[in-house]
Amino acid sequence: MLLKKTHLRDRHLSRVLNIGTPYLWLGLFFLLPFAIVLHISMAETALAQPPYTSLMNWVGDGVLQIRLNLQNFVSVFTDELYLAALLNSLWIALVCTIACLLIGYPMAYAIATSPERQRVILLMLIILPFWTSFLIRVYAWIGILKPNGLLNNFLMWLGLIHEPLTILHTQTAIYIGVVYSYLPFMILPLFANLTRLDFSLLEAAADLGCRPFKAFLKVTLPLSLPGIVAGSMLVFIPVVGEFVIPDLLGGPDSLMIGKQLWTEFFGNKDWPLAAALAICLLGLLVVPFVLMQRLESRIGGDEL
Amino acid sequence: MANPEQRKLEPWQDPKAAPYVRIDHVTKQFGDVYAVDDVSLDIFQGEFFSLLGSSGCGKSTLLRMLAGLERPTKGRIYIDGADVTDIPAYSRPVNMMFQSYALFPHMTVEQNVEFGLKQDRMPRKERAERVGEMLGLLQISELRKRKPDQLSGGQRQRVALARTLAKHPKLLLLDEPLGALDKRLRESAQFELVNLQERLGITFVTVTHDQEEAMTMSTRIAVMNAGQILQVDTPTAIYEYPEYRFVADFIGLVNLFDGRVAETQDDQVLVETNLGRRLHMRCSHPHAVGTPVTVAIRPEKLQICQTYHENGVNQVKGVVEDIAYLGDVSIYRVRVSPEMLVEMTLTNIQPRTEQALTWGQEVAMEWSPTSGVVLTE
Repeated sequence: MLLKKTHLRDRHLSRVLNIGTPYLWLGLFFLLPFAIVLHISMAETALAQPPYTSLMNWVGDGVLQIRLNLQNFVSVFTDELYLAALLNSLWIALVCTIACLLIGYPMAYAIATSPERQRVILLMLIILPFWTSFLIRVYAWIGILKPNGLLNNFLMWLGLIHEPLTILHTQTAIYIGVVYSYLPFMILPLFANLTRLDFSLLEAAADLGCRPFKAFLKVTLPLSLPGIVAGSMLVFIPVVGEFVIPDLLGGPDSLMIGKQLWTEFFGNKDWPLAAALAICLLGLLVVPFVLMQRLESRIGGDEL
Repeated sequence: MANPEQRKLEPWQDPKAAPYVRIDHVTKQFGDVYAVDDVSLDIFQGEFFSLLGSSGCGKSTLLRMLAGLERPTKGRIYIDGADVTDIPAYSRPVNMMFQSYALFPHMTVEQNVEFGLKQDRMPRKERAERVGEMLGLLQISELRKRKPDQLSGGQRQRVALARTLAKHPKLLLLDEPLGALDKRLRESAQFELVNLQERLGITFVTVTHDQEEAMTMSTRIAVMNAGQILQVDTPTAIYEYPEYRFVADFIGLVNLFDGRVAETQDDQVLVETNLGRRLHMRCSHPHAVGTPVTVAIRPEKLQICQTYHENGVNQVKGVVEDIAYLGDVSIYRVRVSPEMLVEMTLTNIQPRTEQALTWGQEVAMEWSPTSGVVLTE
């Protein structure tokens, strides 16, 4: 009896630790910084260190004055610059997610269906770029895309074009850079999903009179939906806030919210506005996340 | 032998009957390995045919070639007179039940059963009727809205069967159809499967490693080993008259006595065994004197010998070493020589405690000349 009790207590403790640790982690490294950013977003700029005013002030006679400045949020939603940047970011993220999916799905499928020994090598090739700094890889694209860069020289040598194409510092360059950088994040979850696919299901489909492409649409695709959702989120969400790629490869006309945020923080030293932008961005990104989680729970349910 | 009724029941006895499935010198190679090695086989309309063998003997590969999931390296396959060797699985009039059942996990029971009908572009109304009919046939109508992961093993097997039967195939292939069921369920499922086959009149070809399953269900059995078919026969013939040592050994328990032919006369043969005793057997093929042979005798064909002679024919004596009590019968393992144990099965007419034979007891056994076979290979 006594033994059972201590055993139960141990189990209780390990449960608390198991569930508590991630909460503690999230609280310390997500919720707390979020609260700080939220706090800054409602302050005003000041020529001070740090460059914003405090929300709370003692104004004598035991009165604590709290000033919440919502002007920054108003600017975010009324200033066309931010709105355009936000919409363009969403557009770029959408286009790139679809492109990554279209390129990544066949690659993930090929890796998942290849023999064990080749699979390790192919996976290695997908992961290999991560061994070089992200920044250096994006810089390398400048060398490829610039007017007298590798790509233009190659195309001119082939005789396909007679004068260099302007790719660098356009939205196209951003698309190329983003798709290149984020492709592995699409491939890896898809691969993880597709390796678990039971190929006897495809044989069963064929046996029941289904041609290979239709079997793909009816069996493989719906069963890989969780992988598609996971890969799309891993691409879409960070791309919306991406700032290195638009900064290095993009031009003056390709506004992205991440770059705008950076400019406000470091260029204009307007921390409160930058914080407000960050809060809005976060709020915006919660929407697709919730939508996709809904979709995933629907796959588990009777729909579809 | 050749009366018309018999021919209808046993079409393989009728030289004029056209086979429904003809496997003609089919070979399947995977790299250097011959999974199926020059197999020829005829299966007739309405048969319940079993391919029996241990794992890796090529039985599943043979079945998959019938389904169109593997292409033969050599040879042709004909179904209902048509050469289907080059026809892909999705165009064959054949359906297969997979060992894992391969139910689509993202579809309900109903959608699973309907899948094949949709591929045939069957009108919606007709489709719904057929699905209802199949679910009714297998008594799973109340499960129609469930997904495969909400079903038990037995229920899944029924759904898989309903799905393969839905298209009214002319030939149904079953890969270890009862392999995933527990023993009790398997026994009732065996009878059910046979009843279903008789009712629908579809030709069944099953693959199994379970000899008991093959014996109870099949019209004929093909015993396979190392990519080749050793013997094709009715369950009775396979059990009573095996043609190969492997077949005798694979199906049920058997006592094998090695020896040489000492004398032959008409259909009788005298075999001098390594035990120093003579066995007198009836034998359909004549054997030359001196031919090395093996006499195979089933344990239940042995009897306790009342009149034992030192030189008695078809008699052996030994000491009971092991008793396996199975309830209805007991298997006695009797040491007759330092190298050889003979197994004898006796029905337990008396309760266990009152039985005559116990461990360490000396016992003499005998059998009749017609109760075994003489094997050369």
